[in-house]
Amino acid sequence: MPGKLIQIITATDPAIRNQSLDAFCRSASLDQLLAECAELETFRRTSENLYERVRALFFLYAIHRFHLPEKKGIGTRGQISFKAYSHLLQRRFEEAIEVFLTVQKNEGASDAISSALASAYYRLAIQTLADQVRRSVRSVRGNQWMFRMGHPADQPLRLRPELLQTGADGGYPILCERTPVRMDLTHSAWSDIFFLGMDFPEGANVLNVSINLGVKGRDAAPKPPIEAYLRAIEEPVLRLTSVDLGATADITSLNEVFDFAKDYLGLLKSAVIASGIVPPGIEGSGQNLSDLLARVVGPGRGLELVSNVNNIPKGSRLAVSTNLLAALISVCMRATRQAQSLEGALDESERRLVLARAILGEWLGGSGGGWQDSGGVWPGIKLIRGVSAESGDPESGVSRGRLMPQHTILDASVVSAEMREKLQNSLVLVHGGMAQNVGPILEMVTEKYLLRSEAEWQGRQEALGILEEILSALSAKDVQAVGKATTRNFHGPLQTIIPWASNSYTETLIDRVRAEFGESFWGFWMLGGMSGGGMGFIFAPDKKAAAQKRLQEIMSEAKRELESALPFAMDPVVYDFAINENGTFAELLAGEKAVLPAGYYALTVPQLLRLDPRNLSALRRAELDHFSAASRSKPELRGMMQVLFDRLLPKMQRDNSGEKALATLLDENGFDRAQHEQIRADLKDGRIGLAQNRLPQATTIEDVRDGDVLNASVLVATSKEFRAIGERAIANGEVAVVTLAAGIGSRWTQGAGAVKALHPFCKLADRHRTFIETHLAKSRRVSKQFGVVLPHVFTTSYLTHAPIESFLARLKNYHYSGPLVLSPGRAIGLRMIPMERDLRFAWEEMPQQLLDEQAQKVRASLHTALIDWAKQSGEASDYTDNLPGQCLHPVGHWYEIPNLLRNGVLLKLLKAQPQLKYLLLHNVDTLGANVDPALLGLHITQGGCLSFEMITRRIDDRGGGLARVNGNVRIVEGLAMPSEEAEFDLSYYNSMTTWIELDKLLEVFKLSRADLADEEKVSAAIRTLAARLPTYITLKEVKKRWGHGQEDVFPVAQFEKLWGDMSALPEVDCKFIIVPRLRGQQLKDQSQLDGWLRDGSAAHVESLCDWGG
Amino acid sequence: MEIRKAIVTAAGKNQRTLPLQTLVDRDGIQKTALSIIIEEILRAGIEEICVVVSPGDQTAYRCAAGSHASRLQFVEQSSPLGYGHAIQCARDFSATEPFLLLVGDHLYLTHQAKGCAEQLTEMARAESCSVSAVQATHESKLPYYGTVGGRLVTGRQRLYQVEQVVEKPTPTEAEQKLIVPGLRAGHYLCFFGMHVLTPTVMEILTELVAESGEKGGVQLTTALKKMASREPYLALELQGRRYDIGVKYGLLIAQLALSLDGKDRDEVLTQMIDLLAVRK
Repeated sequence: MPGKLIQIITATDPAIRNQSLDAFCRSASLDQLLAECAELETFRRTSENLYERVRALFFLYAIHRFHLPEKKGIGTRGQISFKAYSHLLQRRFEEAIEVFLTVQKNEGASDAISSALASAYYRLAIQTLADQVRRSVRSVRGNQWMFRMGHPADQPLRLRPELLQTGADGGYPILCERTPVRMDLTHSAWSDIFFLGMDFPEGANVLNVSINLGVKGRDAAPKPPIEAYLRAIEEPVLRLTSVDLGATADITSLNEVFDFAKDYLGLLKSAVIASGIVPPGIEGSGQNLSDLLARVVGPGRGLELVSNVNNIPKGSRLAVSTNLLAALISVCMRATRQAQSLEGALDESERRLVLARAILGEWLGGSGGGWQDSGGVWPGIKLIRGVSAESGDPESGVSRGRLMPQHTILDASVVSAEMREKLQNSLVLVHGGMAQNVGPILEMVTEKYLLRSEAEWQGRQEALGILEEILSALSAKDVQAVGKATTRNFHGPLQTIIPWASNSYTETLIDRVRAEFGESFWGFWMLGGMSGGGMGFIFAPDKKAAAQKRLQEIMSEAKRELESALPFAMDPVVYDFAINENGTFAELLAGEKAVLPAGYYALTVPQLLRLDPRNLSALRRAELDHFSAASRSKPELRGMMQVLFDRLLPKMQRDNSGEKALATLLDENGFDRAQHEQIRADLKDGRIGLAQNRLPQATTIEDVRDGDVLNASVLVATSKEFRAIGERAIANGEVAVVTLAAGIGSRWTQGAGAVKALHPFCKLADRHRTFIETHLAKSRRVSKQFGVVLPHVFTTSYLTHAPIESFLARLKNYHYSGPLVLSPGRAIGLRMIPMERDLRFAWEEMPQQLLDEQAQKVRASLHTALIDWAKQSGEASDYTDNLPGQCLHPVGHWYEIPNLLRNGVLLKLLKAQPQLKYLLLHNVDTLGANVDPALLGLHITQGGCLSFEMITRRIDDRGGGLARVNGNVRIVEGLAMPSEEAEFDLSYYNSMTTWIELDKLLEVFKLSRADLADEEKVSAAIRTLAARLPTYITLKEVKKRWGHGQEDVFPVAQFEKLWGDMSALPEVDCKFIIVPRLRGQQLKDQSQLDGWLRDGSAAHVESLCDWGG
Repeated sequence: MEIRKAIVTAAGKNQRTLPLQTLVDRDGIQKTALSIIIEEILRAGIEEICVVVSPGDQTAYRCAAGSHASRLQFVEQSSPLGYGHAIQCARDFSATEPFLLLVGDHLYLTHQAKGCAEQLTEMARAESCSVSAVQATHESKLPYYGTVGGRLVTGRQRLYQVEQVVEKPTPTEAEQKLIVPGLRAGHYLCFFGMHVLTPTVMEILTELVAESGEKGGVQLTTALKKMASREPYLALELQGRRYDIGVKYGLLIAQLALSLDGKDRDEVLTQMIDLLAVRK
């Protein structure tokens, strides 16, 4: 009899098959769960069915991640071997699992090993699914031949003769494809993720509408926003131009075609490849692009491909990039006779082929949308459903569903013209301005689906019902009912499945719109992966015009309030839209009509004009003539002369406001020019750098021994004394809390520059809460409990001070009754362009997570481009090509305590509360840290200067830990580890939470309480101590925003001094306390949030909080 | 089904002089390409031959046919309105009979006792329907040929029931519509330039010519596709090779193939080795 979980996986009866894992695990004991795991492990290795294997892998992941750590009897401490970790990085998941299982067998189950196994199982599951999609994409009929073709002589595609018929001026005609974007009428509850569609085709349902778009106030009328142009040229190159991204390049080699991240032309390159013009099979063949083009277009000729999305902002949730890819593929396929019609619409089989190629193109470019995303290729409103795989399909026997869905166009008999009109008259489409990475969301959805988590599974069923409801409402011409259903969908199933689909910005907008429009607001409609970007608001038709105007204002106002708390990529916009009944549509432009979009000429003509006219080919000269004539007669080219002048002649006056702001900021925030120049010189000479951060190779790094640490749980359980001592100290007003909030959380928002402390990261007690509010809620609870008011200090920096100050002022300090003080930074650094040496060290010598084969290629290409950028911009030169705030950096959290001494905050606190003796210092993302009386009592009793709180290490806890370094117990930062392996021998990870005895700390600085008033003395003391601590060079990612919601991420160099190094100073008496994980764990990455919410961490934090009023 | 007539098309713009080229056949005898084609037809037991030529080419062709000249009838294609139109010009010749169709710029070679045309006509006589000679062809050559899709006739080898006919498909279309079970990956059944066709085809061609009028562009494949929906239509994978003498080096390759397969093989090989040896 197989195990209970295997029965669930293999059951054909949906009632059993759809049972939840959680329900079983809650009641199972540790031994039962381990036995089930052993069976699942054997099962997943032997099962031949892909989805059985994947579901078993997800079960194993969830058991190790969420259930085993909670079971009584599991060990906490365990060592994760570096060998196995390296296997993980290299995507050798099976090998990693084997090593972890052996450790588990020999040493018993532990929290640490379970964390490692969870990670390995999860990634193997995702990899298995991705492999299956990739195989399916390649095996779609119509795609296969492109993978076989490896030589130009074998290229069977030929350009249509119509495209080679030159006009009177010798110019070739232009084939223009215009494509709408797609709008998801129901939000599909992410059922259009390939994995879901292929396992649960009956649940994959989407109502998808093709629309024309215009930005209100900018564009005269909605039109198909996507345009792709193709024409033959008299040079043997691929000339690719993206008008919106302002990029153009002549591609002359096959290698460049496959180099996706080199420039902004990756999407055009994907289209050229996926359409078969440069088939994927020819990559790495060493052949010539010109030979290949000669086969397709004719000897000496090439192709020009131009894309234009009419400045529709990125992140619109309207699948602009997928539909652009589809449009480019379509124009290439028409041109090479892979579609019957050169002009007009495509037929159904051709649309399906474009879809298959777009899926392929997205995979090639290392991205991946849902299967509904190419919906703009189809006309009007259509129902897209998953299809069961049948014999003869490549998916048959492998997955339950086909890769490609079925599109049914809903004609006027289903959704009348009247209803279409009504919909257009009620819906206000907007882009809220937020741009977020939805990748983690899609993985979460897949995981939850495969686990059949109870609430989520229920939510999915409910979402299916809502789709049917919307269909009926459309038939019944009832827009109000549509609005009700989409609103219910957003507040119900969608957030049940993914709580992160919503955010406080979106909810603020909904609340304000509802408050203002009352009954005339018919509903909210979430588009695509996450809210905050593209969204829909449905109104009574007579209010639509007013609503469009007001929404713009409401969004702008809410953005202003929240822009330091949430990652906004652009200013909000309101769209005009109209349903497009054509789908993708092509037109051959010949003679006078053969004109490319205005932006194309703005980009290319200045370059041509700078050339000696004698060097221009006859065709180029003719084109300039043609353009010159067209710009006189065509209204869309009016004003081009001014644009060209602006581009040709550099502006006389440079806008210096940015530079001034930077200089002012540096002056105001204690920038030390001399130190900066010294660091630059050291960096250039190689005296400091990533490699030099490390302790010498000869250093002995060992794990600590039992006597080196204090186990809080054991000690507190055996003696009540600690708690009593702590309680007395609290009640006596001897404690204050210091939360480190100077950082912007580069990892948290991938360098977006939002203030992490203000990020409303999660709903706790039914509302989105910021980190600051949560910390204050904990202090409020302790204060109330002991009848005192805990002083709470938030350290800030130039980046975070003003936003936190105004945010707290606006929210009246969250009504915190105790002293709430901001401690402004007194040190600042200016970022530098990194050294090539350091970039190579980070990317080539440090162990790197290997990505999926195609994504790996894209990353390698990006790294090469960034190294070139560093070299061209000047290694170790100042990084100033961004907003001033993005060019500065805080200089490490070590400075945040000395800042308290220097900026007078501590002095003020001591004046108000002279009995203050202890500080609880913690990171802004250590949400479980609070003034725990027992731990405080332990710290007081032990009599140390600093008591660091440590937790047992899990696989994700990277960045050093507690070690015996040449025999001395101290904290070693990850940057300082002499080798990667060394860290894996350490059992404990530094939570950064530190109990500080003030007077002893002042002694370390050789100061007394009385000296705090002497600014000069304090500064000198800080400088002296700082000189004894190591300076680390780090690379941080910083976003540069441009265009319409576009973002680039650059690596920049900065320096830091870190708090943990205090433990290396011999005169500092340090203690190391082991605390429970729930207290010490940190939230570094938003992708951790879902697990944090599900594994009891969020509930634990809530139990520590008092939200007040 | 009795097959007594053959039509050879030679009116194409770039094709007109090809049948007039001289080659040395397997027996070491100099002949024109046209003579070699006529002999191929005669081996199949067909004696009435019609050549479709461009206006004014008749004399040269008659001359090139040498001793076979008296067997030939000529029909002129007055304007270039497509390959299908060229065939349709010979409608009076074929009348209501089936006919063997060859192109004037292809030569055929086989190691079998029976010639290519003979293999094909034998099958058509036995099956009493249209049969096109086909050859498994790599997808990179698809832009040159009409291609058929179908499946093997149960219990038979190299004989296919034709379900689809597409003129010069892209590999994308071929992969979707023309995959034939049993062929190697990336290979399709492409026309060999040789067909036995029933009078139905001539009827359909006549309809198509009438429809297109002066516009022209009438293709044989369009007619074959229509015919496949009206009556049985088979494709036979011939045991032999075709040589297109109209492509670059086509005549040279055809000549080499003939020579290396005939009595002068050693002499030609020796010359080739000599050429290679003196090459710097």
